Amino acid sequence: MIPAKANQNLQTTKSGRKIRVKNAAIGWSFVIIATVMICLFYFYPMVQALILSFQSGTGTNLTFTGIDNYARLFKDPTFITTVKNTVIYLVIQVPVMILLALFLSVLLNNKTLKLKGVFRTAIFLPCVTSLVAYSVIFKYLFGQDGIINIMLMKVSFISEPIQWLTDPFWAKIAIIIAITWRWTGYNMIFYLSALQNVDESIYEAAKIDGASSFQQFFKITIPMLKPIILFTSITSTIGTLQLFDEVMNITKGGPGNSTMTISQYIYNLSFKYTPDFGYAATVSYAIVIMIIIFSIIQFKVAGDKNE
Amino acid sequence: MKKVLALFLVSILLLSACSSGSKEKANSGNAKDTKEITVWAWDPNFNIKAMNLAKEAYKSENPDLKIKIVENAQADIVQKLNTSLSSGTTKGLPNIVLIEDYRAQSFLKAYPDMFQELTGSFKAADFAPYKLAPTSLDGKNYGLPFDTGVTGLYVRTDYLEKAGYKVADLKDIDWKKYIEIGKKVKEATGKQMLTLDPKDLGLIRMMIQTSGSWYLKKDGVTPDIAGNAALKEAFKTYKEILDADLVKPVSDWSQFVAGFNSGDVATVPTGNWITPSIKSEASQAGKWAVVAMPKQTGINGSVNASNLGGSSWYVLNIPGKEKAMDFLAKTFGSNVDFYQTLNKEMGAIGTYKPAAEGEAYKAADEFFGGQKIISDFASWTEQIPQVNYGMHTYAIEDIIAVGMQDYLKGKDIDKVLADAQKQAEEQIK
Amino acid sequence: MSKFKQIFSYSVLILASVISIFPFLWMIVSSTNKSVDVTKGRLLPGSHFMQNLTNLLDTVDVVSALINSAKISIITTVVAMLIASLAGYGFEIFKSKSKDILFNFLLLSMMIPFAALMVPLFRMFGSISQTVSMIGIDTLAAVILPTVTTAFLIFFFRQSTKMFPKEILEAGRIDGLTELGVFFRIYVPTMKTTYAAAAIITFMSSWNSYLWPLVVLQSPEKQTIPLLISNLGSSYSPDFGVIMTAIVIATLPAALLFFIMQKHFVAGMMGSVK
Repeated sequence: MIPAKANQNLQTTKSGRKIRVKNAAIGWSFVIIATVMICLFYFYPMVQALILSFQSGTGTNLTFTGIDNYARLFKDPTFITTVKNTVIYLVIQVPVMILLALFLSVLLNNKTLKLKGVFRTAIFLPCVTSLVAYSVIFKYLFGQDGIINIMLMKVSFISEPIQWLTDPFWAKIAIIIAITWRWTGYNMIFYLSALQNVDESIYEAAKIDGASSFQQFFKITIPMLKPIILFTSITSTIGTLQLFDEVMNITKGGPGNSTMTISQYIYNLSFKYTPDFGYAATVSYAIVIMIIIFSIIQFKVAGDKNE
Repeated sequence: MKKVLALFLVSILLLSACSSGSKEKANSGNAKDTKEITVWAWDPNFNIKAMNLAKEAYKSENPDLKIKIVENAQADIVQKLNTSLSSGTTKGLPNIVLIEDYRAQSFLKAYPDMFQELTGSFKAADFAPYKLAPTSLDGKNYGLPFDTGVTGLYVRTDYLEKAGYKVADLKDIDWKKYIEIGKKVKEATGKQMLTLDPKDLGLIRMMIQTSGSWYLKKDGVTPDIAGNAALKEAFKTYKEILDADLVKPVSDWSQFVAGFNSGDVATVPTGNWITPSIKSEASQAGKWAVVAMPKQTGINGSVNASNLGGSSWYVLNIPGKEKAMDFLAKTFGSNVDFYQTLNKEMGAIGTYKPAAEGEAYKAADEFFGGQKIISDFASWTEQIPQVNYGMHTYAIEDIIAVGMQDYLKGKDIDKVLADAQKQAEEQIK
Repeated sequence: MSKFKQIFSYSVLILASVISIFPFLWMIVSSTNKSVDVTKGRLLPGSHFMQNLTNLLDTVDVVSALINSAKISIITTVVAMLIASLAGYGFEIFKSKSKDILFNFLLLSMMIPFAALMVPLFRMFGSISQTVSMIGIDTLAAVILPTVTTAFLIFFFRQSTKMFPKEILEAGRIDGLTELGVFFRIYVPTMKTTYAAAAIITFMSSWNSYLWPLVVLQSPEKQTIPLLISNLGSSYSPDFGVIMTAIVIATLPAALLFFIMQKHFVAGMMGSVK
């Protein structure tokens, strides 16, 4: 299980085949624990959920219905609404958040900056703050006579209070603001940790060549951080396609399903309504398929060939 | 290398330490030991408190039985029950659980044989009739009726007086009259009439139940949306209230509570369980009264009584069920004295009719200007029209909520209801 | 750095910090207020903190919930770091076609919503309970096991390893270190910031995790902090002052941990090993 002896004979090519087998064995032993655990606690239940997705009925009264559930997806107006909502969140929110997080992390990575620790902690705090507190305060901030409306009206930006949480359009905006607020600091952490691995001397060289900050950012920082940017965009995509907490706690999907996400629909099908775990599993697999498509696109765009 | 081993050892030790620490108690929730039964309920101020009083009352009867009361939020109980029951794992399930009446049928039908039949362990005729439909299935009783969600219209007498009304003017009115009064109150005080949360259609539910109507037909399965006169009237009333600008929109429970605590609204139409929250703003003592719920305008048979929420006790079909049934039967099922204590200690109104004769029900409440609110609520309880909530209250409500948004934006009411009917028929099978 | 740039940096960071920290501050302020004032959104500190705290300690067992949460989160974090970094290292350093396929396959496990796995997982632990009650339902082990290995963390470690200067590993091998020796003596110390980031993220998500602990833990004495807070809100007339106090107590450990760990994000740390 634990890789025992070194492959110090890596360079010595006495009997190449033997060494390769041995190297392979060491490599595999590094990944074996993780593989076993994931198979046990993810793939086994996933297979069960897949079987479940071909069944329908309430509670324990499930019967096999073939692909009926999958056909139902396309006729289910609630499902279609939730897909639309989720894609809107994804397309608008993920790019904004990633750029914002990158930008903040570059600012914070400045050696001469003072109070770095305070800034870092402050910007990270939203994702530590309990969801309960966060939902109460957001509902308050975005309320009819909440601070945001008061401020916007004071500067004469608007003449009437915006119905942030009770109007279908503004409620979506409020949710996008809420997710961005909560997760920007989180993504920033990954960039900050990655920036430590970027060789300072590259920047020094660029400065000597007269590169502006902008050029440095786009020509050095972004390409250097590509593996982590790819990582955060894929995980953010997954997070947004599975978005649940914010919506559940701030708008409960309302008004009239206008902010409901696919994950919340799964929750409703399993727990709020008379449970139909079969159809809920089908909707879950619809998410899986969407995520796979988006991830493949992102891998392709990033040109990460695992070379 | 040593470091690895050390780390591994430490983590394994830690893992086993925390699992063996819990081993000794591993059987506690399992009810293998039938000397102990477990109860799940929510709300410490109400349901949990009532259960604790029941525990005390039962102690004299049977001192050997240990009753463990576990507090969980309602949504949490629903999740835990659904996960356990659908996985077929009875380990860790409670013996007695509190279930909201709106959800009862869905649990009873989704998990047949998991709930213990209670027929005969209590006298069903002694309970408010409207509680029996949701708690029984195929003519058998499964739930022991507990609290009533009987509704009332809580009103600010001082605001009404400024607009030239007395409490008597609001007794047994309909919604048309309510809107008329609301406009005057708004004019005189500048205060809105009520708070509404656009994603919670509780008001619609209260309205249609006054007319003995529901989202589903009497069979509890067929959607009754298109052609439901009471529902159509409720939609219209809802829009009129909004159009008359009588509403302060809120987006959650705390804002709802803040709405009346800070004196922003003149009335609160809701279930009687809100009383403690109303009274929590002590400075408003003497300024409140409760009148009967308005009835629907132009609907035959609509009465001035309705229900919102309310729940009942269920026994799970696992070892320990006999003890659990006996406990419930001798407390919530038949004990008049216990109900008196319940009432004195916490102002709880049950749905057990014989208890209404007791002294505690006749007490005057100074916060409400000396009104005997408990006795008023008790008399309204008996008038609540009985409807079958069926299996799909919340599923249909989500569909109707979408329809409501369309209707408020100007879509034709009949089209809205017809579309909702179609979607409901497709979704629930 | 020019003056303008400096002013620009500071104003952006101050603005971002203020926006970020505001709900957190409000939460602390609210813990000193009465329930009624919390619902009204009062922004000024009040004098009810001690009373809220006393009420909280009287009604629920916060201390044992904190201990439970700490046990679960610490074990999860330590074990998760080990498993995920070993795997991330393995996938990147010993790259091969078949391992890449396996890696992509493992990534699939991130893609399904947890709600869909809950019932099968619960059934699995239910049947384990019959034979090995140590890791069955209602044990801390049952909370930890399904969440301790995530493709997410493996993915993070692998992507970070991509930017790792691999020559220094070779140097270690030539010096005669075993492969594990290379991992622990060279890789782990060099990747300190990656570990810091991963540990913060893992601890935080474990500390706040809700759905799985909710269904798998049954006895109230095993309750974790998020479950306890959820229970506080179970009432028809919840005391928001008390809830906010509980939330402050629940949030501080994670915030504090971050403050301590973030020192590792200092520019140029990599310089020492170059």
